[in-house]
Amino acid sequence: MEDFLFDLIDLVQSIADGLLFGTTYAMIGIGFTLIFGVMDKLNMSYAAAAIAGAYSSIAVFAVVPAPAPVVFLIAAISGGIFGYVIYLLCFRFIPLTSPLATLMATVGMLLLIDEIVVHETDGMPQPYPALFDDVMIELGPFGLRGDLMFVFFISVVSMAVLLYLIYRTRLGIATRAVSQQPVAAQLCGIGLERTNAMTFVITGVLGGIAGAMIGAAVGVLSPLLTLPFTVKGLIVTVIGGLGSIPGAIIAGLMVGAFENMFQFLRGVTERDMYVMLLLFVFLFLRPGGIFSPKAGRD
Amino acid sequence: MQRRLSALTIVGPAIAAAGLLAVPIQSFAAERTVHIAGFGAKSGVVRSFGVNTEAVMLAAAKHINSSGGVKLGDGATGKIKVSFYDDRCNAEEGISVLRRIATTEAVVAVGPTCSNVAEPLFGILQKKVGDDKDTGLQFPVFTDTAIKGGLAKISEWAFRNVPNEMEMYRQMFKWIKAQNPDLKTLFGGVEEDFAHSRFTWYKVMKTRSGDAGYEVLGEAKWLLADTNFTTQVRKMRKAKADVVAISAHPFTTCGVLKEMQRQRVKPKLLVGLTSSSSLETLQGCAKQAEGIIIPTSFAPVTPAAKMAADAAAKLGGSADLHSAAAWEIMNVMKGVIESQKVMAKADTLKADRRKIRDGLASLKTTGGLLGKIQRTAEGEAVKPYVYVHAKAGEWAVLHNPIK
Repeated sequence: MEDFLFDLIDLVQSIADGLLFGTTYAMIGIGFTLIFGVMDKLNMSYAAAAIAGAYSSIAVFAVVPAPAPVVFLIAAISGGIFGYVIYLLCFRFIPLTSPLATLMATVGMLLLIDEIVVHETDGMPQPYPALFDDVMIELGPFGLRGDLMFVFFISVVSMAVLLYLIYRTRLGIATRAVSQQPVAAQLCGIGLERTNAMTFVITGVLGGIAGAMIGAAVGVLSPLLTLPFTVKGLIVTVIGGLGSIPGAIIAGLMVGAFENMFQFLRGVTERDMYVMLLLFVFLFLRPGGIFSPKAGRD
Repeated sequence: MQRRLSALTIVGPAIAAAGLLAVPIQSFAAERTVHIAGFGAKSGVVRSFGVNTEAVMLAAAKHINSSGGVKLGDGATGKIKVSFYDDRCNAEEGISVLRRIATTEAVVAVGPTCSNVAEPLFGILQKKVGDDKDTGLQFPVFTDTAIKGGLAKISEWAFRNVPNEMEMYRQMFKWIKAQNPDLKTLFGGVEEDFAHSRFTWYKVMKTRSGDAGYEVLGEAKWLLADTNFTTQVRKMRKAKADVVAISAHPFTTCGVLKEMQRQRVKPKLLVGLTSSSSLETLQGCAKQAEGIIIPTSFAPVTPAAKMAADAAAKLGGSADLHSAAAWEIMNVMKGVIESQKVMAKADTLKADRRKIRDGLASLKTTGGLLGKIQRTAEGEAVKPYVYVHAKAGEWAVLHNPIK
């Protein structure tokens, strides 16, 4: 009975840790979903650009030492710049009528960004500043990591700001209009290219924050992070519903929690198998994801 | 007189011209190039391994060439030229790179970086020398980095100069036990999806610590690209072991050590994987790694080792336990080329490769940066080693069993 109780506490703790870490998946998922929602295109280089944003911030930090919040801010700005550059190179001048062209361009960009990072760092892990990394909030038998709580808080704030931008500003209205009826939006005077570019900058800023939060949660940056976060981001996007921001948030937390739960119950070697199984369950039973958008495109 | 003069006027300049021509011809005959190929990971997350090996190989070649080069079979002098190829730590690319090297003038290949490349790559080599039915590649490969145990026995053309982890950890756990008799239990952490770390935990650390008298309480597992270690460290905390042994590479070793600090898991002693005694670990988590003990076959503790480290640094590389092995290999190659009378000519290429293989197979001992290296009949090395620990952001020698 005592063993069962200990196991139950551990299980709950694992799920709680997963939920907190899941916010980073949610932020990456939002980036994927927002671009898909607006342009009906997948940006495969999104997670790589997010991590590259964080790398840029420590490159600046190496020249001018700054406190962690400033480093995070630089990561966000760098993320925005990366977002715009990716838009220019992979979308702006590539015919959008060919879905494979932009997809392959972003896959190429993913590999390019990854290899540039590898060549600049020789693949060596780079320490990344964190806040509250030595804080552990103890609640009875449970403990919550201070740095993950901070990551959770920043992620929630970032997502709230993004939701405000999308639903309460003219830019958000334009973005949603382009997402739902691009032709009608253009007829109303909304610049398609400008809106698309702004979407990339906004998601890039969010990606930069996500990259910084991933770095802060892990404690180091490594090119090893790119692929898992790309895969997790895509899973989150599909489970949440392509184009749905609330869906990406919930799916991100869900994937984080499920991942840790399966790791606890079935071990690390089976963990990813169950997360993939969860994806297949959704694709089979609810192909549109948790929140499939009601309105379609032209 | 007239005839003698005219003969002299004709023969004299001819002799002089022949003499002038003979100088470059002679020097061309006396100095040839010995091509040695290196290959390993120069892209991807293990790029630093390839970069370091290449720098060390170039530094060693420079050192050998500036000290007079190598004496070839016909008395001519050979200068070593190193070409390095990237295999991306990928088995298919490693095999393709080796096949490409075999079409060049290279007499031997030094590499690869990764065990997952070495294992299938040795499989394409001829198993038994002289077996006409075996159409496998007849090309000597001398490995500096891929460390997974017992790989050289796959082919008689494969040789390795990597540390013998079985022996290093056996001796180290014995030594730790003698130094700390009060420590009785051990808990392991293993990077499950990497050939080397997996092998080292299950076949080396776990068994050798048991042999030394430790009770192994369990193990926590994670993957090479994992970022969250809360569940694993909680398991570690529950076990309350005296010693924690981590068989993982720097990225996850640092992740686990940071999580251990957060969850206040403070074992009385920490043991790490050979490959983690590198700059990467200190760069990633020097504070958390403080005190971790690791056996390694390289530390700049002898004049030769210091010289190798300095020479590599000048070429932008770092001599560590893996790359320093390439320095030793280059010097072993010099000895083998001279003793086997390698010719380094285009028409003797096949024979030269065979001579090098035979020469390597016949070695019983070789020189090493820390001391004499024993060679086994299976093409493996038994290298001298030291125990290092992380101290104030640097690797310091904790104990030198050679002394």
